[in-house]
Amino acid sequence: MPEFNQFWFLLLAVVIIASAVCVVLFKDLIYSALSMIGSFLGVAGIFVLLHAELVAAAQVLIYVGAISVLIIFAIMLTHHRTGNIWNYFHRQAWIAVPVCAIAGFTLTVVMGTASYNAISESQNPSDDDIASLLFNEYAFPFELVSLALLVAMIGAVLLAKKEKSQ
Amino acid sequence: MTPLQEYLALSMILFFIGAWGVLARRNIIMIVMCVELMLNAINISLVAFSNYSPSGGGRGEVFVFFVFALAAAEAAIGLAIAIAMYRLRERLSVDELDEMRG
Repeated sequence: MPEFNQFWFLLLAVVIIASAVCVVLFKDLIYSALSMIGSFLGVAGIFVLLHAELVAAAQVLIYVGAISVLIIFAIMLTHHRTGNIWNYFHRQAWIAVPVCAIAGFTLTVVMGTASYNAISESQNPSDDDIASLLFNEYAFPFELVSLALLVAMIGAVLLAKKEKSQ
Repeated sequence: MTPLQEYLALSMILFFIGAWGVLARRNIIMIVMCVELMLNAINISLVAFSNYSPSGGGRGEVFVFFVFALAAAEAAIGLAIAIAMYRLRERLSVDELDEMRG
């Protein structure tokens, strides 16, 4: 069983956190979207480190492949204000920084130092295990998710459709 | 710190960077992007717990697939709302959605 690799974990953590901060701070939305793709790729690397290769592949396909393209299309279809910093930062940004810093620091320390009793050595569920779970034990939620996707697709088409002019 | 604790700490940091973005930015597309970051953080902690729990057997990874599907649905709806809003008033700032204020 391959052991935990500290070097790759730290490298990926730095990439993820740096590009996530860039997502929030970039003025231009296209730059934000590109650094969001960097963050998604870093998360896919974290999944590989956790021996969840199937999830990593799905992360690259769905997030990097589909959701990012969707977001970039939405950015290109709209026009954005630039200029003064308060055109793109909300007035409450100053309050948001300490609130998120305090809450994030607290939860990071709590989850990073708590002892987990049921911890074991790294498990490695195979793709067969995941597939049989998905189609036996979780078959009903699976169908519900497909229904939710259908509803979301119809809703998105209806919302973005051009109104007929009278 | 054990590996599980390090993964959870990374997950929490990413989650609150996303929360900061949701609170701090005006643009509705930006908010959708930051919500995606928060969902990614949750996926990291789900996979980490799944990987280190003795009896999980991959259940955490199954839930990650559900989160993927719902994140895709959420992004599609959010961006459709953004486009409809842009068509209606040429702006994307969340401050301007105040018709339902009493």
